[in-house]
Amino acid sequence: MSSREKKHKVTFADKVLTALLAFLTITSFIFIKEVMPQGSDVKIEVAGKLEYSLPISIDKTVEVNGPLGKAIVEIKDNRVSMKDAPCNNKICIHQGWIRNGAIICLPNRVIVSISGLPGKGDEGLDGITR
Amino acid sequence: MELQDKYRIALLSSYALALQGLEALIPSPVPWLKPGLSNIITLITLYLYGLRPALMVTLVRVLLGSLLLGTFLGPAFFLSLAGGVTSTLAMGAVFTFFPRLFSLFGLSLTGALFHNIAQLFVAYLLFVQRIEAFVLVAPVLIGAGTLTGAINGIAARYLVVEIEKAGDS
Repeated sequence: MSSREKKHKVTFADKVLTALLAFLTITSFIFIKEVMPQGSDVKIEVAGKLEYSLPISIDKTVEVNGPLGKAIVEIKDNRVSMKDAPCNNKICIHQGWIRNGAIICLPNRVIVSISGLPGKGDEGLDGITR
Repeated sequence: MELQDKYRIALLSSYALALQGLEALIPSPVPWLKPGLSNIITLITLYLYGLRPALMVTLVRVLLGSLLLGTFLGPAFFLSLAGGVTSTLAMGAVFTFFPRLFSLFGLSLTGALFHNIAQLFVAYLLFVQRIEAFVLVAPVLIGAGTLTGAINGIAARYLVVEIEKAGDS
């Protein structure tokens, strides 16, 4: 190896940074898995406003109107998915069925999130039978 | 600015633009996960010619790139601008103050990390003011950024070695 190539050799700091980033990625994934357990309520927000709060256990399809147009959210078998959306890239639809976490459609400003905080998330419901 | 610098910036910007255009053609399951190939050019510009030319190349790339891809002044433009400028400044700061600390590999990782941090921040301001959403996306971005940053860093290293070889002979 010439001295010129040696100058570009990976340094100790490079390795530390790589290890740190890998560690950060793995721990944050674990953190999310732990912190976001499967929730009981599906919340649908449009442009920052809560439009629906529905129990995940009851199958239902709802339509919401975002700034770009109509989006369809389906709840089935304790899972949620974005069925249709007017955005360009359709990331939200490709995300498929989720049991926890959230589906976020940035262009249409629709956020579908699953949460399960007791005593919250019952707004907009007439009643729940269990 | 010297005339020679202008030529260099023009040439390097066009390389960066070409890489960005190429990247837009690569099908990806998630559109905002991109390899950021044009960062290779930013990196070698920074390494060989300094921060100011690197910043110029980034600005030209973001501006012309958005005009070519039709995203000028759209949300994607601001995300790209914030990411590009922040990562260039971050890499420039590290390279200026600690020139021996990182190789091109580490610089590339720094750039990728700050690119993603800036994009998350702008996305937060532009779209959703909800911290949970970003907690969810951040690990994916950091992980992907580390991977693509590593690949870009290796590519930049090869390029710089070859350029220096060519400069010697």
